[in-house]
Amino acid sequence: MRLTKGMCGAQWLTISALVVGASLGAATTAAATVTRHSDSTIVVQRAATDGNAARDAYRAYVASIQNNEPAAMASYATKRVKLIPAFARKYGLRCSACHTAWPELNSFGQQFRDNGYQLKNERDSPIYQNNSYIPITLRATPQFHAERATKQLVDATPGDGASGQAERTVSSHGFDLSGIDLWTAGTLWKNVSFVLLMSADNEGSFGFEAMHVRFDNLGNSSWLNLKVGKFELDNLISEKRFLFLSDNGGSYATYHFSAPGSSVDFGIGDNQIGAELSGHSLNSYTRYSAAVLTSTDGEPGGENFSSYDANLNVSQAFDGGKMGVERIAAYAYLGQRPTTYQTIDGEEVPGTGSNRKTFYRAGVAGDFFLHKLEFLPFYLHGNDNAYLASDTPPDSPLLPGARDASWNGGFLETHYYISPQLVLTQRVEAIRMSQQAFSDLPNKLGNVDAYSFGTRWYPFMYSRAGLAVHGEYSLVKTVSPAQTAEEGSTVNIWTSSLLFALDFDF
Amino acid sequence: MRMKILASVGLVVLTTMALAPARPPMAGGTVTGKVTYTGTPPKMKPIDMAKEPSCAKEHATPVMNESVVTGPGNALGDVVVYISAGGAAGAPPAQGVTFDQKGCQYIPHVLAMQAGQQLEIRNDDQTSHNIHPMSKVNPEWNKSQPPGAPPIQVKYEKPEFIPVKCNVHPWMHGYFAVLNTSHSAVTGADGSFSLTGLPPGKYTVTAWQERFGTQSQEVTITGNETAKLDFVLKATEY
Amino acid sequence: MSRVARRIASVAGLGVACVAIAAAGVRAQGHNGLPPEGQGSDRKIIKNVGRPSVGKEEYIRYCVGCHGDHGDGVGENTQWIDPKPRDFTLAVFKCRSTPSGTLPTDQDLMNTIRRGIVHSNMPEWRPLPDQMIADILSYIKTFSPRWKAEQPGTPVEVPAETPVTTESILAGRAMFQKFECWKCHGPEGRGNGPSASGMTDSKDQPITPYDFTTSDRFKCGTSNADLYRIFMTGLDGTPMASFSDNIKGDAGWDLVHYLRTLQPMKTPEATIWKAWLATHAGELKPIGPDATGQ
Repeated sequence: MRLTKGMCGAQWLTISALVVGASLGAATTAAATVTRHSDSTIVVQRAATDGNAARDAYRAYVASIQNNEPAAMASYATKRVKLIPAFARKYGLRCSACHTAWPELNSFGQQFRDNGYQLKNERDSPIYQNNSYIPITLRATPQFHAERATKQLVDATPGDGASGQAERTVSSHGFDLSGIDLWTAGTLWKNVSFVLLMSADNEGSFGFEAMHVRFDNLGNSSWLNLKVGKFELDNLISEKRFLFLSDNGGSYATYHFSAPGSSVDFGIGDNQIGAELSGHSLNSYTRYSAAVLTSTDGEPGGENFSSYDANLNVSQAFDGGKMGVERIAAYAYLGQRPTTYQTIDGEEVPGTGSNRKTFYRAGVAGDFFLHKLEFLPFYLHGNDNAYLASDTPPDSPLLPGARDASWNGGFLETHYYISPQLVLTQRVEAIRMSQQAFSDLPNKLGNVDAYSFGTRWYPFMYSRAGLAVHGEYSLVKTVSPAQTAEEGSTVNIWTSSLLFALDFDF
Repeated sequence: MRMKILASVGLVVLTTMALAPARPPMAGGTVTGKVTYTGTPPKMKPIDMAKEPSCAKEHATPVMNESVVTGPGNALGDVVVYISAGGAAGAPPAQGVTFDQKGCQYIPHVLAMQAGQQLEIRNDDQTSHNIHPMSKVNPEWNKSQPPGAPPIQVKYEKPEFIPVKCNVHPWMHGYFAVLNTSHSAVTGADGSFSLTGLPPGKYTVTAWQERFGTQSQEVTITGNETAKLDFVLKATEY
Repeated sequence: MSRVARRIASVAGLGVACVAIAAAGVRAQGHNGLPPEGQGSDRKIIKNVGRPSVGKEEYIRYCVGCHGDHGDGVGENTQWIDPKPRDFTLAVFKCRSTPSGTLPTDQDLMNTIRRGIVHSNMPEWRPLPDQMIADILSYIKTFSPRWKAEQPGTPVEVPAETPVTTESILAGRAMFQKFECWKCHGPEGRGNGPSASGMTDSKDQPITPYDFTTSDRFKCGTSNADLYRIFMTGLDGTPMASFSDNIKGDAGWDLVHYLRTLQPMKTPEATIWKAWLATHAGELKPIGPDATGQ
């Protein structure tokens, strides 16, 4: 499928909508996408599915901007999404009882999760299950997808490395695999729950995406629960349980955005390691959580030991009558990163950081139902301290002219549930830098606009296993540094994904 | 012991017949006959009432399970014989019927009544019973009846054969045969029945036994004659 | 105000909000983490008009796996569930405020859906909005013709609770003996009475009497008023009978107070009872056959 560059966005989107319904194109070699490095190094673009693929991809993007190399097909695909047929098998409920359209939770599923994966009828402890019941679930997504990126730097004459560089639109497509999620979760005992999620990329290389124990209902009260380990932050709109899977749509840009040139390696959608105190009303209409996290963005044994971040979250739901349950939330993530280290022979000793500088992400989110229509608005304000935003080297004074970097971002996502077995999805997202780290950086450098459309159809819905036939088109525009003077200081790079997948879960 | 049962069952049969609806004293036709069985009926086992000493001491020898009551000449007792089709149902009789809990047994074991007829349930024992008719068509209810409590008055509005049990004394089983007609009889151990006061017409007569099922026959009454109708139910061991 | 100070202030505000919510929540809960008696969603009067066509979609989403496409309790999971899911075609319900043999009110059905049923697979559907529950109820009623033919019964009157005193508990104990509760529930309420073994419910499924000593929840509620209603209305479809013919008015509260002393958690009744037992235990005759249970 050759996709010509230069089509304007709207036309392209219409055509792709037709393409989604068309038969699959011929399979070609697996997608090996090319980054826009001037030194011709290839960066693997197939999304790995370890716990921090999004962060790794963003690091590549950040590094490329840092080195004044225009960004490539920034693909923040995170396909860690959580649906647990093991729970359906344990309690005899259909997937649709806990999920609007799996893996997204509905209000009852939220209560079940908040209770520590318990129905609280005195039958949650493993002793009440048949000995042969094992709470293991796995999820995988074989697929066909097509990726495209504009303004990629390639040899002007193919095959001739000395012919200079030209900007071309690069595209690739084929049948492919996702990674898999191998997940076990449930109760160790009444009111002691656990999660262990091993995630592999599409070559079978595993990492720990989540691992925690939670003491539920401390003092017999739903308001006190303590979770320790690696876990997803208590975001109202969960990126792990959302309905998008493509390379360009399979994560929220706002959740992973890093200011151009900033050294902060953090995403609010990344699983973090720490301890979380949380609580909820009996029906989970009122919820709060407060977490202390180690400043490594979820990397175990990381170099930022001895430094801690904090995350706070409150949300309130209302009975919306005929419309459904309406929720609003406010959150704040306060992070810090060290800027001074002990060194040996000039090499930093990990974990000895001090002289911490801070960054934060804060904002509001909502989840509103109009009967079968669900709106998920999200707003975030981000700020990185000047030391971090300018990537001032450790043990050095602040680079001259460095300032805090700050930005505002958000999205509005819409779901239309035609039935519990058919959902249409859409999202529009934007990020705008409000202050760059250096005054000579273009104001709009790093700005992102993203659009996604999709559908999921569940041919059967019962209490043992699940399958979703998934179609999606996602489009991202990133304002990147220009390569040539004629283009001005920035250039818009468009990357898009078309995905047709069979997402199954047992 | 047998005599006691026969006597009480016979008493109930006579009482039932005496309680036949108060109609204008026209003669009407009569259907009479005997219900017998072929094959081998199951052996009835004695009931162990050790868990309820106050009842156990009322019986010199243990009472037998009453699911199948047989008599001489292969007679079958506790069979409900009734008009299942033909003729108008008529209003339920003003006189009610009584179901008694005595010696931790239901007296009678099978009680026939018309839908809408008053039913009185008594407890004449020293122990509490809970009377739990397991109806599916009529509302199902379950009430406790301690000794000395007033009788429970109830009416069943829809025809149904309702098993009755007591949850405290699991050996207690009985039946309410709620029928669409007042022309019914429950056979004694001699297997005989008599349906009286039938206006002229064509009728279907059905015999029902709780284990052996039902059997129906047709009969036509033209005047005041007595029609003879016998039923032979097939007995099964289980 | 400097930016840093503003940041700290807003974060501190969020933190304070978290702590305040937690503290208020802990205090607001009655004993055992459940809504205090007389409060909470159990008591809200259901005013919404249900829409069966909408309720059908929601029934398919939430209920059909256990209760079945035809509402007869034969869902895809019924074979692995004990106790079996409710068969709506019979219109016989355990948890009512109405007399035995009558239909429950909408409020009764909503209470059961919201609070779930302990020791069963019926979840606490607390987050479902009132309108959604009203819709589901209106659809469930289409499974049995009884709902068209009859009105729900008149709720049993629950008088104001009498004070918890030793005399009340002793009177309740005498009732426990006199009405032979111990025959099924056992002398200590362990569910091991002489009639307990081999018990079956109205669908011939094995069933055991409630064991007061292991749980803080009843099948049909948690409060003293709920307990009062349970033995006054009986649990239809089970061996638990209605005692409303024989226990009247305030006498029922005596039985409630005694039953509370059988349960494992700390209640006002248990505290008073323990204190009295410490000095008077020798005066009690044991509960059971040939005893007066005084």
